[in-house]
Amino acid sequence: MTNVSITDAKDVREQIDPDAAVVPVRHWGRLLLSVVVALLVLQVFWSFATNPFIHWEVVASFLLAPTILKGLLATLEISVIAVVLSTVIAVVVAVMRMSKSVVLSTVAFGYVFVFRGIPLIVLLILVGNIGLFMKQVSLGIPFTDITFFSAPTNRIFTPFVASIIGLSLCASAYMSEIVRGGLLSIGRGQYQAAMALGMDGRQTLRYILLPQAMRVIVPPMGNEFITTIKMSALVAVIAGGDLLTVAQSISGVNYRTIEMLFVATFWYLAVVAASSIIQHFVERFTAEK
Amino acid sequence: MSEKREEMQNPVVEINGVNKSYGHHQVLYDIDLTVDRGETVCVIGPSGSGKSTLLRCINFLEEIDAGQIWVNDTLIGYRVANGRLHEMREREACKQRVDIGMVFQHFNLFPHMTALQNITLSPVLNKGVPKAEARAHGLELLERVGLKGRENHYPSQLSGGQQQRVAIARALAMKPFLMLFDEPTSALDPELVGEVLSVMRDLAKSGSMTLIVVTHEIGFAREVGDRVVFMDEGRVVEIGPPEKLLDSPKEERTKAFLSAVL
Repeated sequence: MTNVSITDAKDVREQIDPDAAVVPVRHWGRLLLSVVVALLVLQVFWSFATNPFIHWEVVASFLLAPTILKGLLATLEISVIAVVLSTVIAVVVAVMRMSKSVVLSTVAFGYVFVFRGIPLIVLLILVGNIGLFMKQVSLGIPFTDITFFSAPTNRIFTPFVASIIGLSLCASAYMSEIVRGGLLSIGRGQYQAAMALGMDGRQTLRYILLPQAMRVIVPPMGNEFITTIKMSALVAVIAGGDLLTVAQSISGVNYRTIEMLFVATFWYLAVVAASSIIQHFVERFTAEK
Repeated sequence: MSEKREEMQNPVVEINGVNKSYGHHQVLYDIDLTVDRGETVCVIGPSGSGKSTLLRCINFLEEIDAGQIWVNDTLIGYRVANGRLHEMREREACKQRVDIGMVFQHFNLFPHMTALQNITLSPVLNKGVPKAEARAHGLELLERVGLKGRENHYPSQLSGGQQQRVAIARALAMKPFLMLFDEPTSALDPELVGEVLSVMRDLAKSGSMTLIVVTHEIGFAREVGDRVVFMDEGRVVEIGPPEKLLDSPKEERTKAFLSAVL
């Protein structure tokens, strides 16, 4: 480096070659770090790949096994139905919570309090074993003999159904707070403009509030969707028939516990990657005009 | 009151003894005001004088604590049955607002809709106008406010003055008989005020529309207003034709305000 004093500044100006390319700053630290990281990653891979206790050929042979794919399908079904169901419930609960009616807002508050408070695994076990303390599911007028519909609990609450209900109860409680946050983010002026145009509460929600709230709601909702997909693995505790359930039941037979977990891990990552891509496009669609 | 008042049969707006408080803070005291059909009334006064609140009460965006507001001989916000007042259901209040247009200080356009969608939404939903007809009328209105060709622009792509003109077109699309303007030019850059005022001037001159304009534009009030109302501290201090009220006010408070703003 040269120290440029005022007297020789003129010489320096003349020295500059206007045609030469600018020399960029070299980030030696970054280069070094990338080498270190690459080595560490390689080492992790190497130790897994050469680990004598992991039989990769078993992982490979089960990756596309029909039983595994059936479990994967069940996981997808449970997740998608739970996500759709809980989104609908979330919007309803969020709107109830914001209602002027004290009854509705209290019910919504209670719903969020209870289902956000119970650990998901406890909730799943409870719903999965509901047949133990409720023998019949019936719909009628309380404290009378009038019933419209009645069936044995175990026929309705199959592990599959119980998984969806348990996941939806939990996810919808979280999501309703996200939706409420989105609705609260919209300025009072929008409500007033809608009111002044003679629109009622339902129209205002549908045409003015929800479309605008979407922009705020979508990113954290994407998070919730991915969380729900991963949480669906917990339904293995009530034998929900999902990916983890089948992976564990196979390892119960062939004792390849670790290998079967790798199979499950592969598919979970694949599903989450796919939903991240979908989320990216949905966000772009709802982005500000 | 002016002589004009006696010739007219039924006023469009009749405000009788209206009081309103927010908690312990009273913002309107015994307001009496009558507005005739086709008239343009400008309401001026210092900020916090209750002008905007009064305007919001007329289309029941705010409830009043005492008094009555009649619009087109219909009581606003209440039903009369067996000599008693009954609070209105939200749905009924919505029906009343359909025929009263309102323009806000901050435009309040719907940012996720184009200019034309903003205009056609409520006529289609609440007046049963067929979509094609609403669209044609919307384009007509945009042309009338000088925004031909901007129908597919989103509010964020329009200047403040253009947004406010879309907001006026949106209110007009409901074919109201009464238009309420709540400081329509206060949030605009100075060079954009003129275009909005000129749209309002045309509206006032058309004669068929009744306008109540809360404004700080004394020049506009003088030129377009049939009468000017001066409000201060929640009270109507003085009402009169613009030349009288603005040039030779009777009340001290009016004088003080005018000498401060002119």
